[in-house]
Amino acid sequence: MDESVPQPQTEHRNGTGRPYAPRVSIVETQALTQRFGATVALDALDLTMQPGVTGLVGANGAGKTTLLNAMLGLRVPTSGSLTVLGHDPLKAGQRLRAMVGFAPERNVLPDEMRAVDFVRHLAEVQGLPRSEARNRASDTLWLVGLGEERLRTLGTMSTGQRQRVKLAQAIASDPKLVLLDEPTDGLDPVQRSEMLTLIGEISRDFSINVVLSSHQLEEVERVCDNVVALDAGRLVACGPISDLVGAGEGITLELVEVAEPAGSVGAVEAALRAAGLDVGRREATLALRGAGFEELCDRARDAVAAAGARIRRLDTRRRTLEDLFEDGAR
Amino acid sequence: MSDPAVPVSPAGDADNTADTTRIIDQGYRSYDGPRTGLPGAVRSVVRYSVRHTLGLGRPARHKILPWLAVVIALVPAVVFVGLAVVLDVDLITDEILPDYHQYYGFITTALFFYCGIVVPDILVSDRRSGMLQMYLSTPLQRWNYLASKALAVALTLAVLTIGPVLFLLVAYTIEGSGPDGFIEWIKIFVRIVAAGAAISAAFTAASLAAASLTDRRAFASVGVILLLWGSGFVTLALVEAADMSANIYAFDLGGISDEFKNRIYGVEGIDPIGGGEPEPDDDFSPGAGRDSLSTTFVAVANMAWVAVGSAVVWWRYRRLALSR
Repeated sequence: MDESVPQPQTEHRNGTGRPYAPRVSIVETQALTQRFGATVALDALDLTMQPGVTGLVGANGAGKTTLLNAMLGLRVPTSGSLTVLGHDPLKAGQRLRAMVGFAPERNVLPDEMRAVDFVRHLAEVQGLPRSEARNRASDTLWLVGLGEERLRTLGTMSTGQRQRVKLAQAIASDPKLVLLDEPTDGLDPVQRSEMLTLIGEISRDFSINVVLSSHQLEEVERVCDNVVALDAGRLVACGPISDLVGAGEGITLELVEVAEPAGSVGAVEAALRAAGLDVGRREATLALRGAGFEELCDRARDAVAAAGARIRRLDTRRRTLEDLFEDGAR
Repeated sequence: MSDPAVPVSPAGDADNTADTTRIIDQGYRSYDGPRTGLPGAVRSVVRYSVRHTLGLGRPARHKILPWLAVVIALVPAVVFVGLAVVLDVDLITDEILPDYHQYYGFITTALFFYCGIVVPDILVSDRRSGMLQMYLSTPLQRWNYLASKALAVALTLAVLTIGPVLFLLVAYTIEGSGPDGFIEWIKIFVRIVAAGAAISAAFTAASLAAASLTDRRAFASVGVILLLWGSGFVTLALVEAADMSANIYAFDLGGISDEFKNRIYGVEGIDPIGGGEPEPDDDFSPGAGRDSLSTTFVAVANMAWVAVGSAVVWWRYRRLALSR
């Protein structure tokens, strides 16, 4: 056990009764900036990632991969500071990387190698003794659902299987932190769901902290405990996902487009905007924010009555990660 | 996830084994045991790279070229030993077959072939596939990743440069045509190892340097072949046709490493093809003129190839961006 790893401040147990990883931040940055010429990939990021599964979300080019590379010490930041598991990646990169598993976005699997040999090789490179690496390679492939396929060459595997192999090699050495760069890329909906379930289980059952990079907001909402949202290198939001998304964020008003009077939905929208509310529209559905629940309902009722429109559905609205980005863009 | 150890009672022997037999299926679990650190990582990369270059654990088509090189280097030695046994004469003393240092003509052919076709893949494939990024996300750093790869190439080249000559030495010794006495035997042995290591180091550095400059294996192969053959032809032309200084031979990788090998064996002015002493009137014979170089110059030139090749690889990899 590495003595330098931050120890738990408060013990905290998961569903299997085993303690989670240290209950202190796993990643901290202060004014972290990364420039490539005139391009600012990371713009003075101040963030903290807590233990558990952290979703690193943002559109392509938001700076997710750059941040992951900086966390591994593969990039020297232009300015600012960064610690991962209490270590500076630039000063203690070798020691840090022995505790971190990484599954890159790119397809990096040598086609002619058998899955079990690939996982074993990278487990050895990560520091496991040879016999232990051999045993754990098989165990890990069974864990990710490729036990029967472990002797197949990687070139004969489907995209979903190859993503699982990448996950297996990342966790085979029993790291304290796993960085997964777009692990559901190229997967169909069923495979994506299975992969997310697997990632959640790995964190919950084996107390491995996960940073999951994705541009799919619903994925992050589904599996992550915490979220870091980036937009063009800037920090949009950071914190427990339960604090950032959820119920109580306005109402959803779905109207029926009627022939008479024409344009009633537009009239309702205009009236609500004129009342100073924050209105988002998608076809005949309006998302209303900017006041308390009762006031929103009253104003919606008045606007609908004045426009002669008809209501199909009125519901409390759930705040989503998408709202974080919309707020950040304003 | 994991099943606990489950007692099992095999049919027919339940009474004796019910308390002791277990199915060990612990599944994925935490690991708190010792870790091998950087030395373990280097060992694993070297082992994997050696297997990769020799085509071990890969489809048959990847085994053909590396093992063809081994055959080219080794088969003549086997034939010589066979002749020594069948003819029952001292082949070296009677100059019927080449001496140990003259055997390198066969090895050079295999080396050129191996370095040109097989070696570039060891660096190029990692860069193209992204495995380099995977390696550098582990305790490995750029310099020890490169050192691991260089060691893997040097070891496989040493199989070609040391193996066949060592085989000759052992076989001749057993057959009775070997060196006279233990001291002579050790001297020959040390020379074989030293010459093989020197040639292997120079060829490793030069071929990895060429392979580091491009992401296309075919271009890397052409680069290595040009470096090995081209440098020989150009320097020969400059010295022989343009009447320039013999020091130009320092730029002939194959020639200068062969000359260094000759100095290690204590012989000078030997035609690298193994044809014996150069003819005095032959103005255009390969190797003629290299014997005028001092041994220090030859040694430094050989080491310069290693140093420059290593510097090129390091320069290239320091500048290499890893992300998409």
